[in-house]
Amino acid sequence: MNNAGTRAPAILIVDDDEGHAILARESLEAAGLNNSIQHFRDGQAALDFFFPVGPGPHAVRGGAYLMLLDIRMPKVDGVEVLRRLKADPELHNLPVIALTTADDAREVERCHALGCDVYLQKPVDYEKFTEAIRRLGLFMTLLLIPPTKKS
Amino acid sequence: MRTTVRELQDIKAALDQHSIVAITDASGRITYVNDKFCSISKYSRDELLGKDHRIINSGYHPKAFFRGIWGTIRSGRTWHGEIRNRAKDGSTYWVDTTIYPCMSPAGKPAQYVAIRTDITQRKADEAQLQRYAEDLAEKNKELEAIVNTLSHDLRSPLINVQGFGKQLSRACERIHAAFAAAPDRAVPASAVRQQLEVAIPQALKFINAGVGRMDLLLAGLLRFSRLGREALTIERLDMNAVAAEAFSAMKFQLDAAKADVRMGPLPAGYGDKVQTSQVFGNLIDNALKYRHPKRALRIMVEGHVKDGQSVYSVADNGVGIAPEHQLKAFEIFHRLDPDGPPGEGLGLTIARRVLERQKGRIWVESAGEGGSTFYFSLPSTEPQPLSTP
Repeated sequence: MNNAGTRAPAILIVDDDEGHAILARESLEAAGLNNSIQHFRDGQAALDFFFPVGPGPHAVRGGAYLMLLDIRMPKVDGVEVLRRLKADPELHNLPVIALTTADDAREVERCHALGCDVYLQKPVDYEKFTEAIRRLGLFMTLLLIPPTKKS
Repeated sequence: MRTTVRELQDIKAALDQHSIVAITDASGRITYVNDKFCSISKYSRDELLGKDHRIINSGYHPKAFFRGIWGTIRSGRTWHGEIRNRAKDGSTYWVDTTIYPCMSPAGKPAQYVAIRTDITQRKADEAQLQRYAEDLAEKNKELEAIVNTLSHDLRSPLINVQGFGKQLSRACERIHAAFAAAPDRAVPASAVRQQLEVAIPQALKFINAGVGRMDLLLAGLLRFSRLGREALTIERLDMNAVAAEAFSAMKFQLDAAKADVRMGPLPAGYGDKVQTSQVFGNLIDNALKYRHPKRALRIMVEGHVKDGQSVYSVADNGVGIAPEHQLKAFEIFHRLDPDGPPGEGLGLTIARRVLERQKGRIWVESAGEGGSTFYFSLPSTEPQPLSTP
């Protein structure tokens, strides 16, 4: 049985820029996080993960997830992804950290309006990430548990 | 007494030289007009005497406006304001107006003296200034949007250059450490292989791609800014010829795509030939780029005149643009499909800029899957030189 409260969540990086996603992943890995990390190349892929329409990887019921969401993406952008997640009764509590490319007040404003109060400016570095996690009240679930200690 | 009358006559003569003067009786009928009144209203004195001021009502002001005037002057107070009137030939003119009620000994208005000054030019200038201000506000907003987009789009590759640059440094440190640890400089291949075969090539790939992207963005920006400075030669354009020329310039690509091009008769429009041809070129280029993989490309060009504007449409049966992406399509550096055919995301931005400078517009209608129809307009009659900022 899954229990989201005690499991380290899978980190979902949603970013159309492959380089940014690699840098974010490596920053988190370099800091010793061993959460599983998954990359989605655009907003549509992230939505398909949670709102399955066809074959492909889908979210597991009861699974623990944390989303790192780029705001500016072509076609389905981060704002749209956020809007869909927040409108869903089951997914609206999914922790989302919005990623902005520049320190843009208007973008931050849009995220706030959609109920996302944690955002990071790129490049994502580990310290800023952990601070954002703290603000989400999720710090404990991300603490490293040595693989030998627990199954 | 004699000198007083003489003085009054002099003042009246001076007033007649300076102002438009009319006198009406208590019921509003015109009993006197001076020459200036006749000349600005283009009515003869005979046509005006005995009528009321409705003869020059332009219909611009609401009824309540005139009720307000009457309320003021009937109660014995002077009214002052600006009125738009209509002359006999239908043209309108603005007058700064003072209406003075002359009171009878019984305290009732006996007649009204109206003194007016022609302010038509000032009103036109004000309206022109207002248009300039709106234009400028619009331009400012546009510039702000461009700066905003640019700062994002330039920062994006920069993040990769910075991030992967740091990775290069780390790779160097690791190789250096491997050398330092190896006795007699005999470094085992395993110590540096990962750096040389994976980390360094990956970092270089992203750094080079980032630098290339920034170069492309800056070149595009330069091209866009140059457009705003190029001198325009506005002339009457035979659009059938302009469109045909644009199509023949792209004949090779159109033939390769087996495109079926149809062109209806197009009305003439006023614009710059080179830049208008570029608009057609960009639209054809888009139709080619975003053609449907399963349908043979069909492009239909049509035109009509509406409200003083010649409207041209370029319709294709390509992949179409979803409603939520239609406004974005004109944003600088926005690309419908970054994984799709190459482009810098400037075609429609440039088309819009080019048309706005020629008092035209561009917009798109698309039902999504069925294809897109781009419309653009140009003045159908020679534009007033005054209105060209």
